[in-house]
Amino acid sequence: MAGPMWRQCRRWSTNCTSASLLETLWHFNCRSVSFSASSLGWPSWSSRPGNEGQPSSSTQINPKILNFTSSLNRHKSRLLYPTLQSCCCRTLHSDAKLKDPFTLAQKDLTSLYDDIKKELFVSKEELKSLCDYYFDGKGKAIRPMIVVLMARALNIHSNRAGDLLPGQRAIAMISEMIHTASLVHDDVIDGSDKRRGKRTINEVWGERKAILAGDFILSAASMALARIGNNTVVKVLSQVIEDLVRGEFMQLGSKENENERFKHYLEKTFKKTASLIANSCKAVSILVNSDPEVHEIAYQYGKNVGIAFQLVDDVLDFTSGANHLGKPSAADLKLGLATGPVLFACQQFPELHAMIMRRFSSNGDVDRAWQYVLQSDGVQQTNFLAQRYCQEAIRQISMLRPSPERDALIRLTEMVLTRDK
Amino acid sequence: MLPTTWSRLSCRALSSRGQRTLSLFSSSGPSNWSKVVSDAEKIVGYPTSFMSLRCLLSDELSNVAMHVRKLVGTQHPLLSTARGFVYDNRNNLQMRGVIVLLMSKAAGPNHAASDLLAQDMVSGIYPSQRNLAEITELIHTAFLVHRGIVNLKEWTVSDGPLKDMQFGNKMAILSGDFLLANACTGLAQLNNTKVVELISSAIGDLVQGIYYENSNNTEENSLTGGVDVATWEEQTFLSHGALLAKSCQAAMELAKHDKESQRLAYKYGKHLSLGHKLNSDLQPFMKSSVGEPVSFSLSAAPVVFHRQIVGQERWHQQLQQAQTLRNQPDYSKLLAAVKSEKGMSSAVDLCCYHGNKALEAIQAFPSSEARSALENIASAITKF
Repeated sequence: MAGPMWRQCRRWSTNCTSASLLETLWHFNCRSVSFSASSLGWPSWSSRPGNEGQPSSSTQINPKILNFTSSLNRHKSRLLYPTLQSCCCRTLHSDAKLKDPFTLAQKDLTSLYDDIKKELFVSKEELKSLCDYYFDGKGKAIRPMIVVLMARALNIHSNRAGDLLPGQRAIAMISEMIHTASLVHDDVIDGSDKRRGKRTINEVWGERKAILAGDFILSAASMALARIGNNTVVKVLSQVIEDLVRGEFMQLGSKENENERFKHYLEKTFKKTASLIANSCKAVSILVNSDPEVHEIAYQYGKNVGIAFQLVDDVLDFTSGANHLGKPSAADLKLGLATGPVLFACQQFPELHAMIMRRFSSNGDVDRAWQYVLQSDGVQQTNFLAQRYCQEAIRQISMLRPSPERDALIRLTEMVLTRDK
Repeated sequence: MLPTTWSRLSCRALSSRGQRTLSLFSSSGPSNWSKVVSDAEKIVGYPTSFMSLRCLLSDELSNVAMHVRKLVGTQHPLLSTARGFVYDNRNNLQMRGVIVLLMSKAAGPNHAASDLLAQDMVSGIYPSQRNLAEITELIHTAFLVHRGIVNLKEWTVSDGPLKDMQFGNKMAILSGDFLLANACTGLAQLNNTKVVELISSAIGDLVQGIYYENSNNTEENSLTGGVDVATWEEQTFLSHGALLAKSCQAAMELAKHDKESQRLAYKYGKHLSLGHKLNSDLQPFMKSSVGEPVSFSLSAAPVVFHRQIVGQERWHQQLQQAQTLRNQPDYSKLLAAVKSEKGMSSAVDLCCYHGNKALEAIQAFPSSEARSALENIASAITKF
């Protein structure tokens, strides 16, 4: 009985005394959304005494996070969210033809996997089957979907017919190829034996061949990219490849300091997940429009949706049943990775700090950390953060001229937040 | 494919030329090679430029270097690859970059291209060509590292702890990926999508070549079939030649030199690489003094020739005769078998053929210090 009580106290005292991660995060969040947050019944620290008294110190601690999510901060549009929501709802109910994003994107994606397989031209049969392995049509192809919707929305915004340009179609394909190449390598690095309900390439053919297959997919993507013939587009998507690797490197280390740690986590999330979506969106924009502000809208939408997507993914690692995501739950903990829910939970349960630092390597660490996370608000807080990113994505994309595709991108943010697998 | 190889070989005066080349074997090859390459480096200026320095000094790679220390004492191949960067004669490591630079310099400035300024050149080489040479090195190094990924299911106790092997793999994957990613961003900065496509295709070639190499190197394969000479050449081009050939071509494209220069540069790179590979495959057969332990790959060029000359059946017999108790072939016996037939001299001839083809390719370039260096390199691969 003493345990929980003590934890409660401890939790209270943490909340009261340390100018910590949550606080700093909260500060940049609450400047724009304290209104909507409290209406969501958000945890005690939003109305905690002293919150208003020390804004300067915590905002100073956090310039990098602020910068990273500067878009959240830049527009202190308290009313934006409700406005958007209503505007969202209006389109939802008035437009009878409104389709869900998947259906709307479908017509541009029917030949996606066939096109990819054509790019993966290789004479050796075995290598060919490794390369084709994940392009079996069972993936969600969420990146190509975002890319084609964005492309059509941008084309309409730029006074053209919605139809995709050949280069935009290629970028949809390339985004899935780059994503898959990195999955193949990640599975070897993490020693995973299952992906999307089937055995991983490394499990079937061994590590060495898996790495080569990943390299091959990347080279094919890079060739397809070059054939678009636009140097800026090549630069934008090459940046993604670099970000993916740097993000993977960032997973090797952990930071001692909590603010640093969260900043590190968000930056890693950007590099490993959001950069590909953001830069693919930017690339399709470059191909149709010369206005850098439009490129920025596309990029910001992709970036914010991408980060939200990963935050939800990290939550699902704790909340989803074993079979849902096609990987076992608590997979991240087992890999030694502290994601959003853990970092938030560490606020309430400082015991987690030592576990994070030793990457959950001691006996029982994973189970204990899991328990702490479930007892804490970590999951809700991570979800809330994801919501914030989605709101920003909506704000960005709403600057485009209305179109069914634009509205589908808005709806997509909802689906990102509510997905359970 | 096969007839071409043979007719090409028979065209060459096998008896006399073959003998003469054999007499050169006593001169020590590697030191000569080092000298030729290091002389060449002086012509193109200091070859290591900003890009590889940036990579080497990056947080990411210093992180890897720190971790690689933990692998000391294990059998992970990353360790010997890493050791090679530091201790091996770096002439081999940077050879590709140096050749790309020499080729750039030999082709000279292009006065017709308005967007290229001669005053941007440093010792006769455009900055973009220098960057390309670096990218070529990055890609080559990335695959040296990725070649050394270990299949964990093949792990045995003698390899050391499994955990170390996993960790070594992780480091090898990440550092190889890091080098490749830097090559990609470097390529993009060249502002030439033709070059991006060409070099990306070379990466694809390399992967395919290494993939073949892996499946040929398995013990089982060397017994059951193995490849013929023509296939060997094709695969060796992919794994050892395509990158250099396409980089040489790309160097011409960057200076906007015409299609013919591009074709010749490609040809030089291709034949030089094949000759270089033949030369190194031949090394164990050259310097075997009696009693010294020898070892060579059963997919080395002389063995491939030998197998084709004596036929599958004889080769099987010879393999069985050379089999020792520990299930390892007695390499000196096999070596004697290969030497007793024409396998080795055929490989020497093919090496000379490629050396000559490389020389031939650069004759169209104006005579210069850089061209002489390229000629010296091409000659050096035909000496042993």
